[in-house]
Amino acid sequence: MQGAFREKLQAEYESRRAKNSKYSLRAFAAFLGADHSSLAQILRGSRPIPAARIRAWARKMGFGSEEAAVYIAAEHVASKAVSQRTQHLHHWTAEALAVMNEPAHFEFLRLTREPGFRADTRWVAERAHSSVDQVNIALTRLLRLGLLEMREDGTWRDITALEPLTEEAFRKVALESVRQAAAAKGVKFGKSERKQKA
Amino acid sequence: MNSPVMQFQMISKNPEETAKFYCDLFGWTVNADNPLGYREISTGSPEGIQGGIWPAPPQSPNFVQLFMAVADAKAAVEKAQGLGAVVLIPPTTLPGGDEMAVLHDPQGMPFAVWRRN
Repeated sequence: MQGAFREKLQAEYESRRAKNSKYSLRAFAAFLGADHSSLAQILRGSRPIPAARIRAWARKMGFGSEEAAVYIAAEHVASKAVSQRTQHLHHWTAEALAVMNEPAHFEFLRLTREPGFRADTRWVAERAHSSVDQVNIALTRLLRLGLLEMREDGTWRDITALEPLTEEAFRKVALESVRQAAAAKGVKFGKSERKQKA
Repeated sequence: MNSPVMQFQMISKNPEETAKFYCDLFGWTVNADNPLGYREISTGSPEGIQGGIWPAPPQSPNFVQLFMAVADAKAAVEKAQGLGAVVLIPPTTLPGGDEMAVLHDPQGMPFAVWRRN
């Protein structure tokens, strides 16, 4: 979306040149009431366009104030790449917070090690004092992070290899799994970020 | 083997409300009496496909994903990866013996491959 007004300016300039091959950038800048070198930088995309200029230039090119407002808004919308990165960072941070703070994850793994464990999330929910939905969300996350396995023989196994399995050790392993999963998607936080800053 | 779409799955932040809405709207029925407490949807019609509802964490969007039938889930996942898909949940055996894997296609859309027992 960013750059929409720049494209409009470029199109307007090209349309004027198509009608008059001698029409110069200097002439276009004079029409807009701008400095031609600033306009050249804006058209190259190396300089942002302040909102006041969009408003003024839009008026000169015959756009209504509502149209100008849309172009101003478009300049202020985060770029797709920035927005995607923010979304990823939000997702992985929420994943990290969930494994740290939602006890169903640790409880699920702890229960898989108990004699008489039943591969049934209703059974797990009852013993983990959670709802079946909370346990199923934890199950999905544990599978996604590679901390639990549902095997062909119908058994569910904790594959953290932690001995003993403690809450603290689980949190460390789970966070490392989240960090690795995020890194695979190009999102770095936690340990990697500290390393980058160092 | 062909790979028809076998099932739709609604991933909902509020599965109970989602179930209620669609049951009220279309007369569907939901049965969660199974080892995953999985809300299996029966549309009540022999036409089309049946579905299910699975809970989503609060920070995730609500969405619908499709389950495609495959003869071999592991082979299907390998082929999908070769075509640019990313594995979210590796081939996993569900209670009852069905095998399922969840992936993101190259456009980031989630889908599942499913081998019926």
